[in-house]
Amino acid sequence: MAGSQNIGEASDNPVAINVTAMVDVIFCLCLFFMCSLKFKQLEGKIETWLPKDRGVLQTPPPKIVLEEIRVFMRWLDGQTVIKVGNRPPVKSDTELMQIILQMSNDFKKLGKSDFPVLIDALPDVPWRDVIHVLDLCKVEKLERIEFAAPLEIPVKAGGQ
Amino acid sequence: MPKQIEINAEVSPNLIPMIDIMFLLLLFLMISADMGQRELEDVVLPKAIVVKEDKIEAVSKDSAGERLTINVYHVTQLGGKTVLSCPVYERHDVCREESHWRIGIKGTDYVDMGLLRARLEKEAAPFRGKDPSNKNISERKVMIRADASAPFGLPQKAMNVCAQVGMYKIDVGAALVIKDEKRK
Repeated sequence: MAGSQNIGEASDNPVAINVTAMVDVIFCLCLFFMCSLKFKQLEGKIETWLPKDRGVLQTPPPKIVLEEIRVFMRWLDGQTVIKVGNRPPVKSDTELMQIILQMSNDFKKLGKSDFPVLIDALPDVPWRDVIHVLDLCKVEKLERIEFAAPLEIPVKAGGQ
Repeated sequence: MPKQIEINAEVSPNLIPMIDIMFLLLLFLMISADMGQRELEDVVLPKAIVVKEDKIEAVSKDSAGERLTINVYHVTQLGGKTVLSCPVYERHDVCREESHWRIGIKGTDYVDMGLLRARLEKEAAPFRGKDPSNKNISERKVMIRADASAPFGLPQKAMNVCAQVGMYKIDVGAALVIKDEKRK
């Protein structure tokens, strides 16, 4: 008897759709996307704008500018050796920043405020170590940080 | 004697809510999947404390235009296939094999700095002439995303070429240090 049936019963719909195949496909797709899902690391940026009024030197600099804090970095025996100016290599970040801040204060006492911290790293130094020094300087509010560029002297025609 | 009632109804699970949820899950995973062009190569960025949040406006087409990303990365995978096995890099040590490192822009690698310069000239050209004091200056922003263990020489070369073509607005990609790591 038709009146005894409930609404939404399977017998209401004479054309039943077999959803099993679709569910299988969706499961496979879900599995694929879940496997390929990769969480991104949080990315940010450090602004290191180049000076507008200076390009890469094509000739050796005319004179050695001493009004700078030059941080030398080189890769030796699997680790980065850092030294400031002609001082001996530093042993820790604290020591490095102590020297830089001391030099910075000395410059300020002499009335010089526009001095850069120049990171002079050799090409094989890991990028993370260079960024680490840059980061330490930025933490100490030293904003004028520059990277030393390799000198590119053009080869003369016919000569070496 | 009580009369036993026989129930002959078929017990079948209702799959419709499950399919709904599966569809939503599928939609989420499909949207979050990385289907974009390889603008950003797979690199482990160096960590830093003074990292500014990289807001989406930097990538939008504002007055400075679309930002150009230069990737410095270790070649281990290309198009999802492992093309090179480097145990040193896989151990997160510093790989110094020159042929393992690449400078790439939008999926194109540049070994020859002349070609890189030509590409950057082309990218910088539409943004020149805004500074009347120096017509060679380009206002186009550049982001250098270098792997933490990449040799400094490569990002240095990229910066050099940027300086040569008058691009000075350079950002360096770095990963944010999570609070727990900062405490350590």
